[in-house]
Amino acid sequence: MIVSAHRFRSIGWIALLLICGALVMVLAFRVNALRSQVHRTEQRIIALRKEKLYLETEVETRANQQQLKLWNDVEFGYVAPTAGQYLASERQLAALAKPDGPGSPTPIRVASADDAVAAEAAFPSVIAGLASAADFAAPAPRVADDNDSKAAAKPADAADRAKATANLGARLAMVTPLGKDSKTGPGKGKGEKAGKDNKAGDNKAGDGDGKPALARSAKAATPAKSGKGDAEKPGKGAKLAPARPDAKPGKASPAKSGAAHAENSAKAAKPAAKGSKSAP
Amino acid sequence: MNALTASAAIATGRVQLANVRQNALVTARLRALWVMVLFIFVSLTACVRIAQLGLFEQTPERTSLAEALLPSRGEITDRNGVALARAFASYSLWFNPKAMGEGGAPLVKTPEEIARALAGIFPDADYADLVARLKAGKPCYLRRRVLPEDANKVFALGEPALEFPREEQRFYPQGSLAAHVLGFVDEAGKGHVGMEQVLESRLLDPAHRGTPTALSLDARAQGALEDELGRGMLETSAKGAAGVILDADSGEVIALASLPSFNPNRSDLAYNDLVFNRVSNQVYELGSTFKPITVASAIDAGVITDLSVRYPAVPFPVGKFTIHDSHNFGASLNVPEALIHSSNTVTAHVADLLGPVALKRTMEALGMNERPPIELPARGFPLWPHGGGEGGKGDWARLTTMTVSYGHGIAVTPLHLASAYAALVNGGIWRPATLYKVDPAHLAPGRRVFQASTSARLRQLLRMIVVDGTGRKADAPGFRVGGKTGSAEKPGSGGYRKTSLIATFAAAFPMDKPRYVVIVMLDEPQATAQTGGQRTAAWNAAPIVGRLVPRIGPMLGVVPDAHHDVDISDLSPLVGSGEGE
Repeated sequence: MIVSAHRFRSIGWIALLLICGALVMVLAFRVNALRSQVHRTEQRIIALRKEKLYLETEVETRANQQQLKLWNDVEFGYVAPTAGQYLASERQLAALAKPDGPGSPTPIRVASADDAVAAEAAFPSVIAGLASAADFAAPAPRVADDNDSKAAAKPADAADRAKATANLGARLAMVTPLGKDSKTGPGKGKGEKAGKDNKAGDNKAGDGDGKPALARSAKAATPAKSGKGDAEKPGKGAKLAPARPDAKPGKASPAKSGAAHAENSAKAAKPAAKGSKSAP
Repeated sequence: MNALTASAAIATGRVQLANVRQNALVTARLRALWVMVLFIFVSLTACVRIAQLGLFEQTPERTSLAEALLPSRGEITDRNGVALARAFASYSLWFNPKAMGEGGAPLVKTPEEIARALAGIFPDADYADLVARLKAGKPCYLRRRVLPEDANKVFALGEPALEFPREEQRFYPQGSLAAHVLGFVDEAGKGHVGMEQVLESRLLDPAHRGTPTALSLDARAQGALEDELGRGMLETSAKGAAGVILDADSGEVIALASLPSFNPNRSDLAYNDLVFNRVSNQVYELGSTFKPITVASAIDAGVITDLSVRYPAVPFPVGKFTIHDSHNFGASLNVPEALIHSSNTVTAHVADLLGPVALKRTMEALGMNERPPIELPARGFPLWPHGGGEGGKGDWARLTTMTVSYGHGIAVTPLHLASAYAALVNGGIWRPATLYKVDPAHLAPGRRVFQASTSARLRQLLRMIVVDGTGRKADAPGFRVGGKTGSAEKPGSGGYRKTSLIATFAAAFPMDKPRYVVIVMLDEPQATAQTGGQRTAAWNAAPIVGRLVPRIGPMLGVVPDAHHDVDISDLSPLVGSGEGE
């Protein structure tokens, strides 16, 4: 019995050894298989890089300076830009634009995917002046229940401006930053109403109240595409309404926010657009 | 007996049968054993081999990725990483007469037919030479470098004897662009003429050749310079042209061109007279372009303190020699007028007041007495005027001082002039020209030649020459170009030749804060309709700069601006109007 147990144990040891050996073997095989795979891949990379170099050189050769010059002489006739074609600053670029005269066509506003920067930037001083006048007419404080307090609005405004100055396109929308009085946003009551009616609208109404009202109107005027956008726009449309200098804010707003309730956002955006147009 | 015999016989037969059976069994077992041994041996061998392969095999010939991609010769790029020279496996055309077997003709068609077809594909090929090579029946290169489409055309001829081995060769994707800077590599793989020769050890060093070597050149500016120089050369039927664009602050050579050029891709044809570099190797008397240097030296030395002082502009006799102006500019001129009209006499008067010691010191400080400090192997030694005293090391004679002041009697390379003009406009620091890309934080230590105030004054004066003077055709709008023309007669047998000129325009831009110096030189330009029947620099070299600067300026970071300029309002009232050289 003892012999048998001893034998059994040694057989067990041998079996264990064999299993371990087999496992090591399998592992080693796999490692080497992978290694040769890596090697093959490297070979392929080398071949591809050489091919790339070859193609690159061919393109460079076909498009070398002399060849480009020949093409330009025969086909394109490009010349170096003259001094008059350079602009030193955005001010020069802005100076090229014609100011809107009476009866001038309405500027075409195009929806863009990333209009956040443009919309959040301050607007030209002329409009900004009107906006602040409107604010004066409706001196209601901004949404109070929002997290950012008035004190926090300043750096937020500065950050927005910094963001706005990030690219030229955005900078073109901004000429003069608004004064402090513009910090007071549109009427609180309307903001709240819009917020109640539409949660997304509330979010929008809450943030960035330091912006002029009309900066938003531009955004609201852009026809919304997505469902989410639809949800956001009515809120703004509602908010924008009081910015109209001629409209009395207290009365105008419920009607406009009523319009904002409409499911079709385009409808909601329209009154807002009107508001923005009528302002100047 | 019989029965016994019979039984014995039967018994013996049985025994024998039993033996046979036993033997057969033994043999069979033995064979089975052999087969088994063989089988075990084979399977053991296989197992050992598998284990060896699976466990220990390291492919000995395996090379790393970096090694495999290491070029045979390092790449040379411009400052923006555009490849100018690279090792490249291109096709060559090899004639293998044994391709169709030992006996019989090596070609399907006749050598004449093949040669005619090849000459049709390669227009520059020599028909007679091809016929001779094909008839000789010896394996040889018919052409070292063949474009893929040409290789296809040759393949379409259906000759097995024409082979296209791909060989790693030196290839210049930009063709003849910057050929004098790059040089070429011969068939033995040795670099010649330009940076290929200078960088030979680095380009072949396995530790370095993996990373491209960046030169200071800008391929776009180089292309524009060669293009405009070529145009100017054609318009004036000049023998040759040279041009260099130098970074005024760092001394980096942005472009360097010597025309006519050569094609480094055809190394078999490259070694000829055209490899001679006119910018760094040929010395010329560069004439009036030296006048601003003289004036700067005089302002620096305190000889000129008031620019409104007038000097006589009538022919100036010095010993047996008389210094003349090209035109009559009246009885007297002040210094700004003298520069604007390029007056030799007034410059000679200024140099006379300055004296030989100060002028010589300035010229030496500008490196005019030594080879130009550039990496290229071919650098010309200036013709430096002899002074008096032991071995000509003493002071210059009075007449020598005067002729040097307006760029005669001293012959330097255009590169010398470029470095001198850089020092003239950059605030007064002379730095050696270099073809390596320089990190702005590690500029070469320069030496101060002029005071910063002198340099500021010269910027005004050079700008005035372009606004009001002989350099008007170089005035690219908005680029604030300043510069000086120079039209020197070439010396020939029996004195200077009136019709063989070296027309130079030395310019810098933008003058309110000079970034680049441009030197353009034409060798023996002719009077043509395009140059208004004139052969002086104002009519042929200056317009080249006027066309070149708008092309290169924006690419090199100089934005044209019509509202900026160097302020010349304090000097403008001093200047009348007139025409100069």
